[in-house]
Amino acid sequence: MRISYEWLSDFVDLDGVTPKEAAEILTRQGIEVESLTIVDLSQIVIGKVLEQKPHPKSRNPLWIHQVDLGGRVEQIIAGAPNAVAGSIVPVALPGTAVPNGKVVKDMNIAGERAHGMLASAAELMLGDDHSGILVLDRGIPGDPLTTVIPSQAIMEAEVTSNRPDCMGHLGVARELGAGLQRPLKRDFMPAFTGGADPPGREMVKVTIDDPDLCSRYIGGVITGVKVGPSPDWMQRRLRAAGVRPINNIVDITNYVLLEYAQPLHAFDLALLSGPAIEVRRARANEKLLSLDGVVRDLTADMLVIADAKRPVALAGVIGGEDTAVSDETKDILLESANFNGPSVRQTSRALGLRTEASARFERALPPELALAGARRAASLIAELAGGKVHRDWADVYPRPQEPVRVNLRPALIDEVLGMHVPLEDSEAILKRLNFQVNVMADGEWDVLPPVFRLDVTIPEDLVEEVGRVYGYDKVPPTLPGRRHDSWTPLEPSIDRRLDQVREVLAGEGFTETWNPALVSGKELERLRIAAHAMRVENALSDDMDTLRTSLLPSLVHAVAVNRDRGRDEVRVYEIASAYLARVGEKNAQPDEPLRVAAVGTTDGSPDAGEKALRRLKSVLDGCVAALNGPASAYQRAAAELFHPGRCAAVVLDGRQLGYLGELHPTVTSGAGLEGRLVAFEIDLLPVLAASSVPRAQPLPRFPAVDRDLAVVVDESVTAGALLQGIKESGGDLLVHARAFDEYRGAQVPEGQKSIAFTLTFRSPERTLTDAEVDRVMAEIRLGLEKRHGARFRE
Amino acid sequence: MSDPLGLTTQALAAIGQARTDEELEKVEVEYLGRKSGHVSRLLSNIGSLPPAEKAALGKAANDAKRAIEAALAARRAELEAARLADLAETEAIDMTFPGPPLKRGHIHVLTQVRREIETVLESLGYKVELGPEVETEWYNFEALNIPAGHPAREAWDSFYFSPELLLRAHTSPVQIRAMQRIKEPPIYIINPGRAYRRDPPEATRLPYFSQVEGLAVDKGLTVGDLKGTLLYMIQSLYGRDRKVRVRPSYFPFTEPSFEFDVSCGICGGMGCKSCRHKGWLEVGGCGMVHPQVLRNGGIDPTRWNGYAWGFGIERMAMLKHDVDDIRLFYESDLRFLEQF
Repeated sequence: MRISYEWLSDFVDLDGVTPKEAAEILTRQGIEVESLTIVDLSQIVIGKVLEQKPHPKSRNPLWIHQVDLGGRVEQIIAGAPNAVAGSIVPVALPGTAVPNGKVVKDMNIAGERAHGMLASAAELMLGDDHSGILVLDRGIPGDPLTTVIPSQAIMEAEVTSNRPDCMGHLGVARELGAGLQRPLKRDFMPAFTGGADPPGREMVKVTIDDPDLCSRYIGGVITGVKVGPSPDWMQRRLRAAGVRPINNIVDITNYVLLEYAQPLHAFDLALLSGPAIEVRRARANEKLLSLDGVVRDLTADMLVIADAKRPVALAGVIGGEDTAVSDETKDILLESANFNGPSVRQTSRALGLRTEASARFERALPPELALAGARRAASLIAELAGGKVHRDWADVYPRPQEPVRVNLRPALIDEVLGMHVPLEDSEAILKRLNFQVNVMADGEWDVLPPVFRLDVTIPEDLVEEVGRVYGYDKVPPTLPGRRHDSWTPLEPSIDRRLDQVREVLAGEGFTETWNPALVSGKELERLRIAAHAMRVENALSDDMDTLRTSLLPSLVHAVAVNRDRGRDEVRVYEIASAYLARVGEKNAQPDEPLRVAAVGTTDGSPDAGEKALRRLKSVLDGCVAALNGPASAYQRAAAELFHPGRCAAVVLDGRQLGYLGELHPTVTSGAGLEGRLVAFEIDLLPVLAASSVPRAQPLPRFPAVDRDLAVVVDESVTAGALLQGIKESGGDLLVHARAFDEYRGAQVPEGQKSIAFTLTFRSPERTLTDAEVDRVMAEIRLGLEKRHGARFRE
Repeated sequence: MSDPLGLTTQALAAIGQARTDEELEKVEVEYLGRKSGHVSRLLSNIGSLPPAEKAALGKAANDAKRAIEAALAARRAELEAARLADLAETEAIDMTFPGPPLKRGHIHVLTQVRREIETVLESLGYKVELGPEVETEWYNFEALNIPAGHPAREAWDSFYFSPELLLRAHTSPVQIRAMQRIKEPPIYIINPGRAYRRDPPEATRLPYFSQVEGLAVDKGLTVGDLKGTLLYMIQSLYGRDRKVRVRPSYFPFTEPSFEFDVSCGICGGMGCKSCRHKGWLEVGGCGMVHPQVLRNGGIDPTRWNGYAWGFGIERMAMLKHDVDDIRLFYESDLRFLEQF
């Protein structure tokens, strides 16, 4: 919200308080001033246009003015035509800077001298209007502009959603008064000024159809008004707050909105059929031409103000063009109502139309505010537009605001804040904020919040009121601490345990990435991994409309990103959850398995792929080992995303964790990548669950004997199968066995391969003799021969 | 040659002339070699001599052997000392020549920052709690005192799967779940994790981000305790000269509520370009837990009270490492990730 410093001084004495100090106080109390703009008008002078004529030569339409600057006349050229002879205008002379930063120079435009410029409201930062020269209603030529318009300061402030009362200058001034310990100069509820006959409620019949959506509707009648421009000071304040002046009646409704935060609307009474007002939901096929010139299609969930025949306004959002106040208007119906916040928000969203009014109603205004706003507006209309305010307005109030009382044990203030606030200070703060405080016999306080503070309902709310005005800066920082007789022992968090995995991967050159969990659902379908995908109903865009079911596509994307940036070799991983819908269970939360996935690049040859895959397998084993998990097994498998001949299921204690393999060529090429990608993705929680604290084993007392064994078998026999056979025949003396080389070629028959194993034998009781080891080796050979038809090299 | 004295003289001269270990080795073999060395041969001949000569020659030969051994050892030491003295020239290499590149992977900067935050808070006794990212409407909103139609819901525009199920807009639901599970305070927990809001991606915010929230529920906790905890955390992460300011704000789940700011590390709070002349950098939100929220977590607010806070890990990382675009964290560009 835009707050005018000068306007605030209507309500609270700001003598000796700079705009910057005021902004700091407000920020400290919870109205965050995000920017402060000081508009210095002291260099601008007042001029009176003596003569205006078109520029004879210029291609664009320009106007040449002779301007009286009090004792001298200067020629000034402007593009806007509205500074006709007789206008009083702000003038910036060469060498000065106008508040928006533009520096004025002496110029010559198409052969005509231009000595200075006539300023628009926007150039003077007095509003957003740059369509024409700002025309003043008074001022003496040659005097500084500050004789009629004081220098300004505009604060752009963020008002939290619980404080609609601070969406008006009066509320902001009340806050400032509390912070400065100065009294507020204005009572919240103005006096009623109407006395004319007949009573207003006999002139317009008001009914509310849906009291849930409209808890109060005040319709005030004012007759015989004279519509015209509003006074200069009012227009100036409206502009400062970002509102365009229209005419005195509309301006007054806007002015009161900016003062009290109560939205108001004025109808031309003569144009209301009935005249009657009915607050109801829109009916099928109803339309409304709104004040912004757009024909709005209305739906049954929109609340409208209708006369006897048709909708004339969208409740709380915008008025209708057909019944708007115009220059011909004589009698008006002044609406001051209270509409349901969520309903206004819904309508405003459905129409894509957010107005000053809807922004306030959305935050749930107190119904009592409607009366204050109506009275204030009526008295301003009587004062500035003439007219008679009728007595006894229609005031339909089906849901009267309940008074709220809060019982406060004043010690709570110190207990919650953690510092001592003198009782008299707390009481004074509450009173300055218009709370009534009655100290009861037992020392507790019976507190009555002001009617405009619906946000205060519990004692803690009162603590906050005191705390924020007294100053949270004064609260000394402490660390909590008392004697605890119960506690939960510290366990390393999952993420700390997973740091072991990160270390293994970092050592192998893999860099951790964090990728978005929302991905393209279409892409998941293309990759055929969308079966358990959860799709967002209100996605921002197609490329992030679905929760990923695998981390691998994100990592393939990461490879592509880095290839695009000229990096050939890429190794990346991620530790994050995948999201798997429970099929068939409506509204069930999905499984969110925590996973680690890694992808590495290699060149396009089958051998390179195989080599990289073997290395990656060691990396995965290393990750599991680092978590103190048991060794995992690999079983040839088929899985989406993976190469059909190069994919293994990773199995731990009989449970499948995920897959390791080369990615399918179509996955790689689909991402626009060349070469082969090797990858794994496994669930981590089963590994963590299976991990155990390593127990120290006694160090071997007798030496080990190492033997190599080169086994020649058919291509179809796997190293895993051979290893199993070796272990079965090896008995207790075989303590370690591992395949380390694979050979095909001249020394091996066609269709066969040679796999070399290294075997370690050791006895815990004695030094093994060669003869003993030879016997076991013979057993092993025999076993492999029988089972796999193996032969042996060397 | 059969004169021990003569042999000794000869041997010592040869030792003195030896320039290398190999030459010394040769001299040693020539004189002391087991079979063919001069001294060994002398000793092996002793058996055939008459007893009177035996003793004298035996002693002379052994003296010669000891003298030669001593001279060999001394010369070896000399040569070794000389070799060591010359290493600077003899084995010098180009020390400016670079090593081969190390293929070290990097841990994501957000992981690093999250780890630091967790470590600091664990030192105060907070424990990490995790929870689901796809949440129910109740845990994400209702339990946190944000009923349907509440104007504050505007601030948490969320991604929905159905009217009841959504991506959590903050990690606060974990706090409710933790209170329900732990039941009996004291509760000191932090809940790091991903959260989602329907904001289009830009340099300062993303529809997905990561938070660390904290919750303390105990007896007699105060705003001062909240301030102290935040100050301890910020000073531990950014240095002891940093200050923390709490500014009143509004959240439905805390009362009173605050935004908390950290003094600008560049100007020390005086105001500079980096902090947009405010002297303070906005970090997160916090407050004393609303009694209704405690009740929703199954905690009796007449016996216990609490405070809570939350902030974005990305924001903390941006402040710490001068990152100016939040999108960099999620783009997997190694040129960025390898800087940390």
